[in-house]
Amino acid sequence: MQGFALFPFDPPGDVAALRADLRAWLADHQPQGRIVGRSNCWANFNPDFSRALGAAGYIGMTLPRRYGGGERHPLERYVVIEELLAAGAPVGAHWIADRQTGPLILRYGSEEQRERYLPGIARGEVYACIGLSEPGAGSDLASVRTSARHTAEGWRINGQKIWTTGAHLSHIMLALVRTEEGSERNAGLSQLLIDLDTPGVTIRPIIDMAGNHDFNEVFFDDVLVPHGALVGERGQGWRQVTAELGLERSGPERYLSSHALLEALVDAAGSEPDPAVARLIGELTAEMWTLRQLSMSTAAKLAAGEDPMVEASVVKELGNAFEQDMPRRVQAVVDCGWDDPDDLARLLRTLLIASPSFSLRGGTREVIRGIIARGLGLR
Amino acid sequence: MSAARDMLCDTARAVFAEAAGAGMAPVEQAGFDLLLVAESEGGFGGDWGDVHAVLRLAGELAPDLPVAELILSGLGEAPEALHAAAAVSLMAGSMGQALALSIEHVNTRQQFGRPLGKFQAVQQSLAVMACEVAAVDAAAAALAARLDATGLDAEACDFEIAAAKLRANRAVGVVTAIAHQVHGAIGFTREYDLHRVTIPLMRRRSQHGNDALWAARLGRQVAALGGRGLWEALTARA
Ligand SMILES: Cc1cc2nc3c(=O)[nH]c(=O)nc-3n(C[C@H](O)[C@H](O)[C@H](O)COP(=O)(O)OP(=O)(O)OC[C@H]3O[C@@H](n4cnc5c(N)ncnc54)[C@H](O)[C@@H]3O)c2cc1C
Repeated sequence: MQGFALFPFDPPGDVAALRADLRAWLADHQPQGRIVGRSNCWANFNPDFSRALGAAGYIGMTLPRRYGGGERHPLERYVVIEELLAAGAPVGAHWIADRQTGPLILRYGSEEQRERYLPGIARGEVYACIGLSEPGAGSDLASVRTSARHTAEGWRINGQKIWTTGAHLSHIMLALVRTEEGSERNAGLSQLLIDLDTPGVTIRPIIDMAGNHDFNEVFFDDVLVPHGALVGERGQGWRQVTAELGLERSGPERYLSSHALLEALVDAAGSEPDPAVARLIGELTAEMWTLRQLSMSTAAKLAAGEDPMVEASVVKELGNAFEQDMPRRVQAVVDCGWDDPDDLARLLRTLLIASPSFSLRGGTREVIRGIIARGLGLR
Repeated sequence: MSAARDMLCDTARAVFAEAAGAGMAPVEQAGFDLLLVAESEGGFGGDWGDVHAVLRLAGELAPDLPVAELILSGLGEAPEALHAAAAVSLMAGSMGQALALSIEHVNTRQQFGRPLGKFQAVQQSLAVMACEVAAVDAAAAALAARLDATGLDAEACDFEIAAAKLRANRAVGVVTAIAHQVHGAIGFTREYDLHRVTIPLMRRRSQHGNDALWAARLGRQVAALGGRGLWEALTARA
């Protein structure tokens, strides 16, 4: 069987300088303080940090200049986001807009939408959330029922989204809605860009098991948005969402968001580590190094205009497993109390509690394995 | 891939297919001991990317034969770590073959009125296996790139050799278990080809460093770098 061909990761320009500049910038601008904020850091909202990062040119890097972007190569952006994640920077506020909503607006949006939203996204001021899941549509996304009727004044939206991360802190939602009455499954769906301050939108918090308010329920009660809110083609929502999910699944956040724990483990082990701890560090490092190769190769393939749907799913599957396994294995080997006040114990506790969500958000493990199986020709 | 490497692979594929029945003679006649020998010294002048491509095919088609030893003999006394690196490529090939045999089998064998591959439980197992194979392939290819970037300096590649061999070792358990499980009894026979790749995989996990050896070596290296130093080292190396 033909092997997984490694796509060369070869960003233009001086990558070492790009890293060094960003590291120097982070040394001045990254908020100090709570260590646990450095884990799962793309769920950590900090609008001040996002604005500063945008002003420094690290958001919307690949967007055209006329929309406030940097016209940089996608792999330069990759280098920047892997540095931000490895440093545990609080990138949550702008993360979705920068990763998927901005690129989607550029690709499918109207000129008016681009001019209206992209500059704010690139400045780190406009934040977006993902309106896919509904109470009756989880893994089975094609059963979404939130509807938008085409009327003389605009689109009239009724229905409900759920699990919407950051809706309460975002300005816009890119929602998948049913625009064709009586349509079934993945036909008749469209994407609408909804300003969340529109009358009739109600956002209610859902507190997660860690006690945090990250995700929400979002209700639409006869919400009227202009005709211009439609993104791309009417009825092509499914195809566009599939492209969006490709961007969502392949990034380095799927294996690097718990990097703070590996760093803390290494620091706690010291230069003469206990043999069992040394072996654990070796095993985790080998997995991390391998995942980085897979992730970079997939990013390079995406940048070359290919659609590495299966590779992206492999990165997500292995990355999720790595990030869920790491805190469990650290807990099994390192002697540290559940309530200890040191960095390692705090990170461990936080990640043990956060990690069940890793193989749910962005497509469950079972759904991802199904995509890989389809790639193998089994479905 | 370059045209020269394509030709090399075509030759290797034919030679290993023959060698699977005939033993080492065809491999020796084909001159694989000259693969890493410089052109100026009458060799093929290949790099580790070539070695990886050839050994991946050997792992697929003739995993029992000492092809890596023959190729490395071209370097005179090759360091032990290069034998470990070679093992990773062989293992990648054997795992790819185990996956190919498994896919073919579940698409053909029918139970409950359908091919096994139509059952979700079987699909999910094979997806897990495919991830392991992709990981080992990526590790082997990245290691090859690093070896070529350093002119086959095994000491300069100590980090990557350790990481790649360890990752390959860890995949062996998952890949051999799932391959045999989806095959049922037929895969447990001498007649069927699965053991031709799974037994060499089991053997190679112990050879040239088992998990514990490489994990300890890599772990001590990383401990010396410190937490932040690990990331700095990773990004400086490639
Ligand atoms: C932290 C977090 C953040 C999220 N953020 C967002 C967001 O911002 N926007 C958004 O739209 N959604 C978001 N989600 C929702 C997420 O996309 C869904 O949780 C996910 O799609 C699964 O849907 P579900 O929770 O309804 O589970 P279900 O679909 O009910 O699945 C439950 C279990 O059954 C399995 N299962 C379901 N169907 C099958 C099948 N056919 N075969 C085998 N197994 C199956 C699933 O894999 C899963 O293990 C978020 C979720 C989490 C946990």
